[in-house]
Amino acid sequence: MKHGMIATGARGWRRATMAGALVSTLLAAALTSSGALAADPIKIGVPVGLSGANSVVAPSVVQSSQLAVDEINAKGGILGRQVALEVADDGSGAAGAQKAFDSLIFDKKVNALISMETSAARNAGLPIVTRGKTPFIYTSFYEGRSCNRYMYVDAWVPDQQVAPIVDYFMKQKNAKTFFLIGSDYAFGRGMLDFTKSYIEKKGGKVVGNEYLPMDGSDWTPIISKLQAAKPDAIITSTAGGAPNVTLTKQLRAAGVKVPYGNLAVDEGTAKSMGSDAEGIYISGSYVTNIDTPANKQFLAAMQKRFGADLKTPNDLSVPQYEAIYLYKAAVEKAGSTDSAKVIPALAQVSFDGPRGTIRMDKQRHTPLTMYLGQVQADGSVKVIESFKNVDPGEQCPSLK
Amino acid sequence: MLNLGLDVVTTAAILFIVSTGLLLVFGVMKIINFSHGAFLTTGGYASVIVTQAGLSWWWGIPCALAIGFVLGMAVERFIVRPLYARPLDAILATWGLGIIVGQIITLVFGRGVQMVESPVTGALALPGAQYSAYRLILVGVALVIALALGWLLNGTRLGLQTRAVIMNEALARGLGISSTRVRFITFCTGAALASVAGCLITPLASVDPNMGVPWIVGAFMLVLVAGSSLVNLAIASTVLGGAQVLVSTFINPVLGGLTIAVLAALLLRIRPEGFARG
Repeated sequence: MKHGMIATGARGWRRATMAGALVSTLLAAALTSSGALAADPIKIGVPVGLSGANSVVAPSVVQSSQLAVDEINAKGGILGRQVALEVADDGSGAAGAQKAFDSLIFDKKVNALISMETSAARNAGLPIVTRGKTPFIYTSFYEGRSCNRYMYVDAWVPDQQVAPIVDYFMKQKNAKTFFLIGSDYAFGRGMLDFTKSYIEKKGGKVVGNEYLPMDGSDWTPIISKLQAAKPDAIITSTAGGAPNVTLTKQLRAAGVKVPYGNLAVDEGTAKSMGSDAEGIYISGSYVTNIDTPANKQFLAAMQKRFGADLKTPNDLSVPQYEAIYLYKAAVEKAGSTDSAKVIPALAQVSFDGPRGTIRMDKQRHTPLTMYLGQVQADGSVKVIESFKNVDPGEQCPSLK
Repeated sequence: MLNLGLDVVTTAAILFIVSTGLLLVFGVMKIINFSHGAFLTTGGYASVIVTQAGLSWWWGIPCALAIGFVLGMAVERFIVRPLYARPLDAILATWGLGIIVGQIITLVFGRGVQMVESPVTGALALPGAQYSAYRLILVGVALVIALALGWLLNGTRLGLQTRAVIMNEALARGLGISSTRVRFITFCTGAALASVAGCLITPLASVDPNMGVPWIVGAFMLVLVAGSSLVNLAIASTVLGGAQVLVSTFINPVLGGLTIAVLAALLLRIRPEGFARG
């Protein structure tokens, strides 16, 4: 028998099939891996309060996230990869947040977390963020001084928000005594602690400082104390949603008419409160009638995308839109989604959004333009004064 | 001082209004209706429906009454009656029903908080204080409900039969009283009362799918302490409700929320029949 180049015996066929199998596996691997790299989307996790206290504002947050992602994908995505949103319900509290963060970081393996949450939920999620080494942009205003190696904040802190209201009350309304009411958790207490020390620093006096549990709805004893104390002005900081509504209704029902500054109500909730909300003073980094091209463009895009289902953009949903763009900028600057590279990049990038230029370079927080407004009879907010580039102060000195 | 006194009286009135429905059901059927909170919520949403239809808030009361009664009929017939011989299972079933109703309301109305305009706004100027007019109205409402129920129980044949069933069901049936009919009407009335209560508290609170839940525990405690008498319920509401107001005012509102539960537990430990006489 001649030994030819091509093996025709049984052993030869086996060798041939094995070689063929090896080659095709290598080819397939090469094709799918390169294909997978190109198609693999960048996942942004959004743990938000779809149920619970934040359920009123969560839909607006999801909407602005969707618009940002749609716009970014239409322009080619981030580093050539499409962006996908993973929304999870954190129940507006600690227990739900643990579940949501766990599932987003370890199950869905998101590349980043970008969301607004209650302080209770945020504090519960941070240890999980640290374990998962995932970049986390917190987009909700809060009581300040929450620091974590992986977290950035693009919303306001009391150092930026409280001063406009207190200064206005003291100068324009001659208020010398204040009564503070809040919800009993990190945000309520943190905001009012800061407010109390600011008032006292400016020479005013705090004649009452009362709290109710987060889901409490009977403010009767607190209102009675308020009427006994006869303050010149009230400042409140409750959890968003239901507590704002119940407190305002009961205050109005009791005939309380002194100037009322609410540190924690957004335009949407104020609008739905109807006539009870008229006259309330609010201070925030976003109102829908900010007169800039960027804001007008944003509002038009939201209207076009959501039409009749649009939930009013507000101070809790607009920072979300800007944060997604900030993440995009950071990933592009870092050249990858690797945490170690993205985290420092987040402090170096900026984005010109509906609220102006956002750059999170002050100890993980950002200077912001703040607006003092008053709710009108038709639910809209009239801007009384605006303050440019208010500094967030010393938030995380150890995380320079 | 006047303010504090009015706080106590109005809080007692509100607690009484919320708990009467539960008391009726407990007295006659010896089960705690854990779907009471769901009926409160349904009444709250009756207000929302009326407001969205553009009608005056006051239409919410008959609307809530009707919805509560009809829902109560369905629940008694299909859930509670088959479990007549198994009271513990009936309690569990009402708890499950409460959850289901809450979820249905969420599906129909969404999770968000709904706003209902108050029918009476502002405060009444009284000597020494300004007080919420609506809360004062609720004191009147509580009296009306108490008198109406009192008349029903003491002045009608059905009331006589109901009191017989409350005292001793087996003996009552032996005398020819249809306890099935009494139970049926009692449950429907209890559900209707809960629904009206839910409607009445909307001017003071916000309406959301879980608005009834915080009230169940308080109402449950009051009913256990009161037994089956309306008078006892009024006493319990005043004593325990008053304690809640005092603790909230002089200590802090967070502890105030615990007061009713803690006091009720202590009272029942000392005197298991509560305020009832023997």
